[in-house]
Formats: sequence, C-alpha cells, structure tokens
Amino acid sequence: MKSRPSLPPRGLLIYFTICALAMIWPGALVANRIEPMVIGLPFFMFWYVAWVFALFVGLVIAYRHDAAQEVNDE
Amino acid sequence: MSDSLLITTITLAYLLIVLAVGLRARHNQSSSLEGYVAGGRHMGLLVLFFILGAEIFSAFAFLGAPGWAYSKGAPALYIIAYLALAVIVWWLIAPYISRLGRRHGFLTQAEFLSACYPTRGNLLGLFIGVVSVLAMIPYLTIQIAGAGLLFEAATSGTIPFWLGSLLACGVVAAYVYASGLQGIGWTNLLQGVMMVGVAWFLGLATADQFFGGVGEMFRELQREAPEYLTMPGAGGMGWGAFSTAILVSALGCVMWPHIFMKFYSARSERTLKQVFVLYPLYSYLLVPLLIIGFAGVLLLENSPLDSADRVLLTLVVELADFPAWLIGIALSGALAAAMSTAANLAHTSATILVRDVGQHLPVLRGISDDKALKLTRYGVVVISLAAYLLALANPGSLVGLLLGAYGIVVQLLPMLLGALFWRRASRTGAFAGLAIGAALTLLFQFGVSTPFGWHAGFCGLVVNTVVFISVSLVTHSSSSYSPAQALSSKG
Repeated sequence: MKSRPSLPPRGLLIYFTICALAMIWPGALVANRIEPMVIGLPFFMFWYVAWVFALFVGLVIAYRHDAAQEVNDE
Repeated sequence: MSDSLLITTITLAYLLIVLAVGLRARHNQSSSLEGYVAGGRHMGLLVLFFILGAEIFSAFAFLGAPGWAYSKGAPALYIIAYLALAVIVWWLIAPYISRLGRRHGFLTQAEFLSACYPTRGNLLGLFIGVVSVLAMIPYLTIQIAGAGLLFEAATSGTIPFWLGSLLACGVVAAYVYASGLQGIGWTNLLQGVMMVGVAWFLGLATADQFFGGVGEMFRELQREAPEYLTMPGAGGMGWGAFSTAILVSALGCVMWPHIFMKFYSARSERTLKQVFVLYPLYSYLLVPLLIIGFAGVLLLENSPLDSADRVLLTLVVELADFPAWLIGIALSGALAAAMSTAANLAHTSATILVRDVGQHLPVLRGISDDKALKLTRYGVVVISLAAYLLALANPGSLVGLLLGAYGIVVQLLPMLLGALFWRRASRTGAFAGLAIGAALTLLFQFGVSTPFGWHAGFCGLVVNTVVFISVSLVTHSSSSYSPAQALSSKG
C-alpha cells in the first residue's frame, strides 16, 4: 500500500537546502553588494530573483522525476 | 466627473464584478459540507494556483511590503525569500496530507493532528481550533482595515474608512456565504490576475515616470542612499534576525490553517504538485512592489512619512501623474489582494469554529452534515461582521494577539513533521515540545529579548524540536510506523 510519505531523492533535497541557504546567512553574504547591477536591479536584489527561479527549476525537475516514477509503479 | 468620483465608480464596478463572479460560482457547488469547505476535493490546477497565491499575498503586499523597502531597504527581501521557500515544506508534506484527508474525511488541520495524537475528549483538537481562530480573526480584521484605508486614500475621502471596509467586507461575506470554496476559487482567479497586473504596471510605471526606468532609479539610490540596497539596510537588521525570520516564516507558513486546509481540496496529488511547481513564480509579484518602496526613499527624502505603510498610496495617488481611471484600477488591484485573503480567512475560521470548536458543545455533538453546512455559512457572516467591527474599533491593537496566537500555531510544526516521518514520535514528546516551545515563543515575543536578536518563533521551534525528540526517544515505543502511517494502515 502506498501509505508512506515519499521523500524526493537525496539530490533534490540537497538542491532545496542549497536554495534555502543561498537566501539566508551564510549563503547570502557573498551577494551582499550593489554592483554589478543585473536587469536594472542591485546585485543583492537580483540574487533573490535568481534563486526563486532556481527553486522553480528544481521543482520542475522534482515533478518530472515523480511523474516518471508513477509510470514505473504502474 | 471629478477625479475622486471616477475612481470611486471604477472601483465599485470592480467590486460588482467580483460579487457577480463569486455568486455565479454557487451553481458549480454540491450542497455538502465537503463541497462547501473543500470544493468536493476536486479543485483543478488553475483555480487552486490562484486560490493559494491570492490568499497568501494579502493587503500586506501592497501596504506593508513597500513600507519595509521604504523604511528598511534590503531586509525587505526577506518577504520574497520566505514566500518562495515555503513551497519546499509543502512539496514534502502536502500530497500525503491530501491523501490521508481524502481517506479519512479530514477537513481541518486540527482533525489531522488530533487523529495522529489522540487525546481524551479531543482536547488537542479544541486547543488547535481555538488558537487558530484567535490568530485568524485579527488577520482578517487587518485585511478589512487595509481595504478601508485603501478606499479612503485613493478616493481622497469620498468613500470614508468605515464605508470602504464595509463594502469590501460585505462583498466577501456575500460570495463566501453563497458559494464556499467555489466562490473563493473563481474570484481569487480574477483577483489574482488583477493584483499581479496592477503590481507590475505600478512598479514599472512609477520608476519610469520619476526616474526614466528601474535601472536609473537604483543608480540614483546608489548615489544618494546606498545603505538601503544591501544588508543590514537602513534600519540595521542583523543577519541573524533576517535569516531566522525567513526560516521561521517559510516553515511556519504551512501551519496557517487556511493554507493547510487547501491541501485537502486538490483534485489529485499530481494537481497539488503542479500548483507548487508554479507557485514560486507568484512571489515575483513582490518585485515591483518593493521597487515602489525604494522609489519612495528618494521621492520622499524631504518629507518622510509617519507611517511607512502608506508609501505606495502616497506615490501613486499624490505624487505620480496617473490619470484618475488608472488610479481606480490600481485601487481595485490592491483591494483584490486584501479581499482574496479575507475571503479565505472568513471561510476557514468558520469551518474551524464549527468542526473543531463546535463539536465540543453538547448541542452540536453529532449534528448532521446539512446542519453543519448551514452553521458554517452563518459562521462566515458572523465572523466577517465581527472582524468589521474590530476594524472600526482599533485594528492596531490586534497585532499583538495575531503574533501571539500565530506564534503558538507555528509550534505545532514539529509534531506534524514527526507524525508524518518519524516512527518514534510519541504523544508525550509532542505535547512537551509544544508546551515548552509555545511558552518560550510567547516569553520572547512579549517579554525577554532573544539571544543574538533571533526571531522569537525560531527560538521556540528549536527548543520545541529538541524537547520533542529527546522525550520521544526516552518514551518506550515499539511501533514500526509513524503516527500518520499507523493511521493509514488502520483506515
């Protein structure tokens, strides 16, 4: 019976952790500057915009992984 | 037609459209409690995406968030960070919660937790129900007060505060009463599109009108007040406070009952995951709103605002040279953010009051589904009215209640995660952790200052988790299942 909450594969868990650490101390320390400005935004602000996108990409991959697994299960 | 009259007309027209969409949705609805509360567990991708997005982004997005950028600068980015990171927790637990909800007929958060940790007379369920409602009513009041404030400022007083908040509150109560989650779904779709469109337009147009573009604006800010653009910002928020605020808000987000309960409403686990994949993109809504706050730093240099929350209104209504019809649409977009959240809060609080609190009253024990549905709908009206009256009284004084009650709700997270993933999770451990975590959070929130300036709730969570784990390890357990798994093998 499929009653266990299935954790995503370890690689994705690590990826999610990196996304989180990038947005707080200590990860965000490296981005704490104004230059270079990217798409009109100061670098620190751009950093957050970019990591939100990285998170989105990670979720797309996780979703595709899950979908493939469901097919295998059937 | 005078400007404020035109703004009023456009906004009232928008409210009428929302009302019509919300009332029309009642035709799609089955007449069961499950239909009213969880859309019959049959909500699809598009509607669920906007329900979740629009309920999370509240009046705070248009008032508080630009206010943070204006008064503090870079620390305001914590809002984008936590709202995006919240999705990780959902991804890990929501599909499973949805599955168990379907199997066991759960409709509230308290029902889930009290099934995992049974107590005599279901005291845990009552406790969660009461504390959740205590957190949600102030939150609802703030949305309604926000709507009144927006109305009054944008129409230059043509619609006074009491009338503006009454209009917004009345429209919300009417469609939630009539159409339940279906009504919330279709109106949130409309309101979600509206708020995203308005936010981006206002952000880009404001930067363009005053500075000739976003890049130019930030260049000027870099020359005039560079401290706003990096940590610790103008107010001096430390990395510890910033990081722990992000963590506790991202982790705690799932514990808001109006978010948690949406997991039950998804058509399938796959739908739920699709919603989560797209969700981080919704948080980009904050980028243009923060840009407006940053613009305020430069534009209001010589006449600083008393209340930072008014920065967007001041720029858009008073300083910028927007035509009146555009201000009407902008006001509608900001109202959309407040109303879409208010609708979910009223709907969820009423459900909790009837399902979790009401069942403890002798008269309501074992009432029929039909009667519970009727009571829930009346509950929506009563709660909306109560929140409206509180908004007239003094919404500012409710912030303490909101922080305190929500601070306790967040402390339910370790026991929830334990129930899902840990076979050694014990009831004694869960309650010990909850009690100590909640007490510590309240102490830090209202009394003692926290070590290193960390977030009060974060300190509570850390201690809560440590106590939960150690007590559970000491308590004897021979189960090979976690509490939630044991539930599903029984069911």
